[in-house]
Amino acid sequence: MPTEDYDSKPSWADQVEEEGIDPEPISPPVTKVQQDPASFVLDTPQEVINGKIKTITEYKLNDEGKKIKIVRTFKIETLKASKVVAHRKNWKKFGNSEYDPPGPNVATTTVSDDVLMTFITSKEDLNNQEEEDPMNKLKGQKIVSCRICKGDHWTTRCPYKDTLGPMQKELAEQLGLSTGDKEKAPGAEPEPAQAPVSKTGKYVPPSLRDGGSRRGESMQPNRRADDNATIRVTNLSEDTRETDLQELFRPFGSISRIYLAKDKTTGQSKGFAFISFHRREDAARAIAGVSGFGYDHLILNVEWAKPSTN
Amino acid sequence: MRPILLQGHERSITQIKYNRDGDLLFTVAKDPVVNVWYSVNGERLGTYSGHTGAVWCVDVDWDTRHVLSGSADNSCRLWDCETGKQLALLETNSAVRTCGFDFGGNIIMFSTDKQMGYQCFVSFIDLRDPTQIEDNEPYMKIPCSESKITSAVWGPLGENIIAGHENGELNQYSAKSGEIVNSIKEHSKQINDIQTSRDMTMFVTASKDCTSKLFDSTSLEHQKTFRTERPVNSAAISPIYDHVVLGGGQEAMDVTTTSTRIGKFEARFFHVAFEEEFGRVKGHFGPINSLAFHPDGKSYSSGGEDGYVRIHYFDPQYFDFEFES
Repeated sequence: MPTEDYDSKPSWADQVEEEGIDPEPISPPVTKVQQDPASFVLDTPQEVINGKIKTITEYKLNDEGKKIKIVRTFKIETLKASKVVAHRKNWKKFGNSEYDPPGPNVATTTVSDDVLMTFITSKEDLNNQEEEDPMNKLKGQKIVSCRICKGDHWTTRCPYKDTLGPMQKELAEQLGLSTGDKEKAPGAEPEPAQAPVSKTGKYVPPSLRDGGSRRGESMQPNRRADDNATIRVTNLSEDTRETDLQELFRPFGSISRIYLAKDKTTGQSKGFAFISFHRREDAARAIAGVSGFGYDHLILNVEWAKPSTN
Repeated sequence: MRPILLQGHERSITQIKYNRDGDLLFTVAKDPVVNVWYSVNGERLGTYSGHTGAVWCVDVDWDTRHVLSGSADNSCRLWDCETGKQLALLETNSAVRTCGFDFGGNIIMFSTDKQMGYQCFVSFIDLRDPTQIEDNEPYMKIPCSESKITSAVWGPLGENIIAGHENGELNQYSAKSGEIVNSIKEHSKQINDIQTSRDMTMFVTASKDCTSKLFDSTSLEHQKTFRTERPVNSAAISPIYDHVVLGGGQEAMDVTTTSTRIGKFEARFFHVAFEEEFGRVKGHFGPINSLAFHPDGKSYSSGGEDGYVRIHYFDPQYFDFEFES
């Protein structure tokens, strides 16, 4: 089998050394090489047979214009064959190969990279199947559960980590409640919103959605009755929005109404707001919890709202 | 093993075949040349030039004197193996899909495609009768009206031919009377290749329905099934072991439309009795279109859609391998 060695720099020292070793007389082109280095590019390949090893050396220019020396080593094998096969081996080449020299032509015959037969035993196959099965079983199970929202992810990866997390902690500390109980209220919130979507992919008109039969909260006639569960928040920053307030006070209980005083022309917060809770206890807790709370670099002041005069 | 890569074709290989002694390998492709190589070192002996279209099939007689090739240029040609000279040109009405010498090398068979308004025919010509060649008049022509023949080989003792059809049917046509001796339908899709064992007692089919099946060649009795997950283009039986090798892979037209990057273009070795795969050899970067075992069973060759033919000499591990069931 021929093997190929590529040498990027033809070294004169090498050349001389090899010539010294060669037992066979060197063909005339080689002497020419020594005189004119540029011409050896066009030289015919030089062949040396040493016992069972045949070495063919040629010089070529590669794409970059550098001279490359190609040494191909062949092992000469003698094979015994039947008479007809031996006879056929001596047939003259014909067709497109008519002018090919004896031996494989590099243009049509090359030796490709080593490939190995990969053996498959039935035992290996069985093992593979067993390995796969436990993984499939685990797929259906919920391995991780978030402590904040009970979602299927690690707590540190929870999307509500920054908003709900600290609030819950604070609440739990103040109320002495176990976080487990309280978690459910805010944690349950994202799920019902997604539920109708996941059931069917269809569009559901607002009137038929969950809570569609409820009347709008702002339309409740006994709004005044909530006044006793309303708190006033002052020293808010100008950038405060209603959503911020909702986020801030929601953990204390259900909010019926948020009023944020805004400048009519600029739309910026005037720095105070009223929050109405459904229950007075929630409002009380909110006062205790948020009063003196640092929010947006300002210390909030929360107190009971005075009944409105008008 | 270091496969010898033969680059004698410009288009995808359609069939490769060893002669009886295994010293020569004939390859044909969808370009008009027929190549012949020395299998021992991959040296090209020569080319048979004359066809003007894709060559679908090639065959060589038992004493390696004549070569037969069938092409899509609507001709079947007979060549002198040693010199590459064309001995006979048999014009047909449509593309020649399969061809073959009988056991004695005296009678040739070829089948033509159902094409351009012509029916599919199997023609038989006796080479001992020069008038049949001169007048291009086969002594027998069997019409196949239903489904065209996609692969065919001579059965044992030259009594009949076994033909695989586009619809998956297998038919045995008598070479004397032309009638259908046996007919079965074990495959659901086109039969791409049929190859007999060395003693011609059984043959293996390769079908587009992703299976390869082993049959008894006289009774057409189904024996074994080898299942893969890709269409099988070619299958060959080892002359020394109970092994078959299957080659195939995604169809070339599907390569760009399927999501898998791996086309499964390996040659797959199955144990005949257990119907189980035990080894694979990678190498081609397109589906394998044709496979052939060397008659001594120590090497095999494959020709692929990529246009290369690879001659593989087995490593000692192959001969030491014991199949554990």
